[in-house]
Amino acid sequence: MAVDRRTVGVFGAAFVLRLLLICLFPSLPDLLTGRVEVSTPVNSFKRLQEGLYLYTRNVSPYDGGVFHQAPLLLPLFSLLPGVQSNPIPTAILYFLVDLVNARALVTISESGQSVQSQLHSAVRKHIRWDGVSVAAWFLFNPFTIATCLARSTSVFTTTGILFAVSNAVTGNSVNAMLALGFASYLSLYPALLFVPLVLLCFDQRLQSANKPPNGIIYGLQHAGILLASIAGLLGLSVLITGNFWEFMSATYGFHLLVPDLTPNVGLWWYFFIEMFDSFREFFLGVFWLHLASYVGGLTMRLRRQPLFVVASLLGVFAIFKPYPSISDASLYFATLPLYRHLFPLMRYTFFAISAILYSSLLGPAFYHLWIYAGSGNANFFYAITLVWSLGLSILLADSIFAAIRDEWEQDHPDAQGTEVKQV
Amino acid sequence: MTALFLCSLLLALAVTPWSSTAFASPDYHEQLFLQPLPQSSLLASFNFRSNTSQQSFDNQHFRYFPRALGQILQHAHTKELHLRFTTGRWDAESWGSRPWRGSKEGGTGVELWAWIDAPGDEEAFAKWITLTQSLSGLFCASLNFVDSTRTTRPVVSFEPAGNHQGADGLHLLHGTLPGEVVCTENLTPFLKLLPCKGKAGISTLFDGHKLFDAAWQSMSVDVQPICTAEGECTVQIEQTVDMVLDIERSKRPRANPIPRPLPNDQLACDTSKPYNSEDTCYPLERITDNAWSLSEVFGRNLDGVCPLTGSDGTSEQSVCLRVPHEKQVFITQEASEIKKDDGFTRCFSLSPSQAFDISVPEQTVTTPVPIEEPILNAERTIVGHGQERGGMRIIFGNPSNTTAVDFILFESLPWFLRPYIHTLQATITGQDGIRREIPTKDLVSSTYYRPAIDRERGTQLELALSVPAASTVTLTYDFEKAILRYTEYPPDANRGFNVAPAVIRILNTPDSAPFYIRSTSLLLPLPTPDFSMPYNVIILTSTVIALAFGTVFNILVRRVVSVDEATALVAQTVKGRLLGKLIALRDRIRPKQTKVE
Repeated sequence: MAVDRRTVGVFGAAFVLRLLLICLFPSLPDLLTGRVEVSTPVNSFKRLQEGLYLYTRNVSPYDGGVFHQAPLLLPLFSLLPGVQSNPIPTAILYFLVDLVNARALVTISESGQSVQSQLHSAVRKHIRWDGVSVAAWFLFNPFTIATCLARSTSVFTTTGILFAVSNAVTGNSVNAMLALGFASYLSLYPALLFVPLVLLCFDQRLQSANKPPNGIIYGLQHAGILLASIAGLLGLSVLITGNFWEFMSATYGFHLLVPDLTPNVGLWWYFFIEMFDSFREFFLGVFWLHLASYVGGLTMRLRRQPLFVVASLLGVFAIFKPYPSISDASLYFATLPLYRHLFPLMRYTFFAISAILYSSLLGPAFYHLWIYAGSGNANFFYAITLVWSLGLSILLADSIFAAIRDEWEQDHPDAQGTEVKQV
Repeated sequence: MTALFLCSLLLALAVTPWSSTAFASPDYHEQLFLQPLPQSSLLASFNFRSNTSQQSFDNQHFRYFPRALGQILQHAHTKELHLRFTTGRWDAESWGSRPWRGSKEGGTGVELWAWIDAPGDEEAFAKWITLTQSLSGLFCASLNFVDSTRTTRPVVSFEPAGNHQGADGLHLLHGTLPGEVVCTENLTPFLKLLPCKGKAGISTLFDGHKLFDAAWQSMSVDVQPICTAEGECTVQIEQTVDMVLDIERSKRPRANPIPRPLPNDQLACDTSKPYNSEDTCYPLERITDNAWSLSEVFGRNLDGVCPLTGSDGTSEQSVCLRVPHEKQVFITQEASEIKKDDGFTRCFSLSPSQAFDISVPEQTVTTPVPIEEPILNAERTIVGHGQERGGMRIIFGNPSNTTAVDFILFESLPWFLRPYIHTLQATITGQDGIRREIPTKDLVSSTYYRPAIDRERGTQLELALSVPAASTVTLTYDFEKAILRYTEYPPDANRGFNVAPAVIRILNTPDSAPFYIRSTSLLLPLPTPDFSMPYNVIILTSTVIALAFGTVFNILVRRVVSVDEATALVAQTVKGRLLGKLIALRDRIRPKQTKVE
């Protein structure tokens, strides 16, 4: 693979920036690890350390309320030297994971799937960022850097998702399913990406193959591969932990039932703190159903652009999953530049960006007022999470509108640039 | 073993009235031990003990053993029971070593541990719940709140004090209620368990007003089987009440309890100070002890002797006082005084029918009573600020210059305090006074850790530690404070939550008898939500979700058309046609209006 000078420059600069940050501010990683915006109960590095400590001392880390991450992370991290004595190797691992994620983004961008796919061809193809710019946008996003320095384990989920997409756009449907299996194994919710991802693979297959395969059989085959990969990973996990139900309920049960209401940037925690006990289960069901409902709607309406469905679903997850953090937002922001050609069609970018900036600046301040200064109460931080979710959902809705408008313009070449309305 | 244990307990208090006759079957003993402590305090240790043979216990023939408690124990299959009610703090720095070597006291609040005979863990827990519910009723305490989150199963911190045969099926369960306020409603049922029920003997001194006004007090109930080498078993119940009264405070008359400053002419001032004058005084340290008498301090008289006490001579000396022999002590006429050989202890033979009183006049201290130095000083505090996370710091000081102290630290933490054991760190300050960090494995020889599960069980941590001679060890670990559902907070949510005291069991005591220290309980502030607005939160969150859902699906389900097409399309719908008619109507009316104008 030819590597040009710009790629090396961006990747090297991203690496050096992170290294500089941890060398100049050695306490920064621990500070970020403790931030609720970055670390949630399901991706906190401190909780991973605690799980690792118990694991290396032959205490089941799942027989407790602290560790809720996938079992395979334990042997992986037990290979690394202790973080308290030697933090650099772990940090370097996270830097490299970030670079690998950026590399996958370059692949996705360079495939051109976002502008030109089997069923769709964007009108404004010429307005486009190249792969290196997309990667740079991802690597120098402060949210990505914060996630990387905080050593949040959601970067591995990000890797799984980005690899699944990059393999899907290059036609390696089996690898895509394996990567998606890995991501789903780590944090459960990526499994919802299965339908658009299979459609993406299917469209790729149609493009390359002479004889189009049967859609249903193709889908079932890939569902089988996904399930097999998850089952394989779960099998490995059983070998590690020895108790299947214990780790299942401590990891996936924890994702599903949301027992830990530690504050985060999402909408679930405060809602379920304040929810009346008798309605808790009902609203848990409603919230999950709501999250899953976007898959069907987006996939059907945007059938021609499955990659855009994947990107939008990542945005939905960043807003509505039970334990969201800014790493989910950073993944969504990383996929947005692939759709640079939609930016001229978006209507509320200023409002959305203002809301996001407003909440990301005021969020830490309000959290401080509540938890440390005591001069504010929980509503301060809660209000900011509402604004954050609102900003993200406006951005999401606006980009979906732009994509639909783009499709409409493709169908009506004569009406380009005219005012449109939805009826 | 048990005889040795009891003997050593009594030796610690320099009282040896009964050691050979302790296990004669059914009998009852009571003893009051008084010792003035520095800072005008008075330690009063009451001890009541009775034995019943195992056979009559099993047949429910209760004589001295309280029937109410006996039947609860039989119903809950409890073989050994220890119940403690404690308030206040033992000031080890000025008062020295604890009475009964700490084995008769509990942590602040209520502490209960029992050995329950059951085939499995679950059955044992079911029996335990039965036991706590029944004891809750018996002692008017909130013991029914000892649920699975407050119950632990200590592994090395406690050992049965009684002799158990076939101890395979015994399960030790331990529960604490650090927030329980011990008060008179617990004293009344406690007194009812005594054979004389507070009507005669030393138990007549108990007055709830004085007892719970003490700087420190601990009530205990211990039930344990005692077996001889021949296999004869008795069930022993021992009840103790220990308290440290502030003499001056206790002497205040009940009708007029407000303390008032001394008149100027009664003040002892340091006249050598340059600023000493009519209105300025540097108080001199007292050189005399406070005068006190039993009736003044306890507010009641000691009414005779409980007639059920054994008649073997020694048990008649049921009141002992530990002051130097040269000190003057006045007693009621009918009673007689016996001075012990140790130079400090004197015991009194009471007249069975007469009220008894001791009066110690104010006099100059010549030879102070030696106070035993504690083997280990322990202190536990929460460090850090903010409601998000914090740290626990436990400081152990070994005052001995020669021997190291080995002990077990037992902590049971509530589930909403999430400790990170990987952050456990130790620093040591040796004789040189230099503080340095050392790996924890140099101090901690073994660890038993059972992490908490949210809303199911609390954390249980047992560490076997060793503190070298003349050094101070500080253990720290981080923890995170969980945020609870709003219904899980108590009404006074911002007061904080009580964390049970740590129990320290010292292993290498000189005579291998148990020695316990308990730290003070802690107050843990948790982050709180806004309790006033569950509806608002539900509505606002739902609005944001509805807004996102509505916008996205509105965009997804509607058709995109150009503006011109839109007007044409709108005109064809029913709504559009109606609107068109309305406009036409308006146009027809409007021209008329303009004409009128």
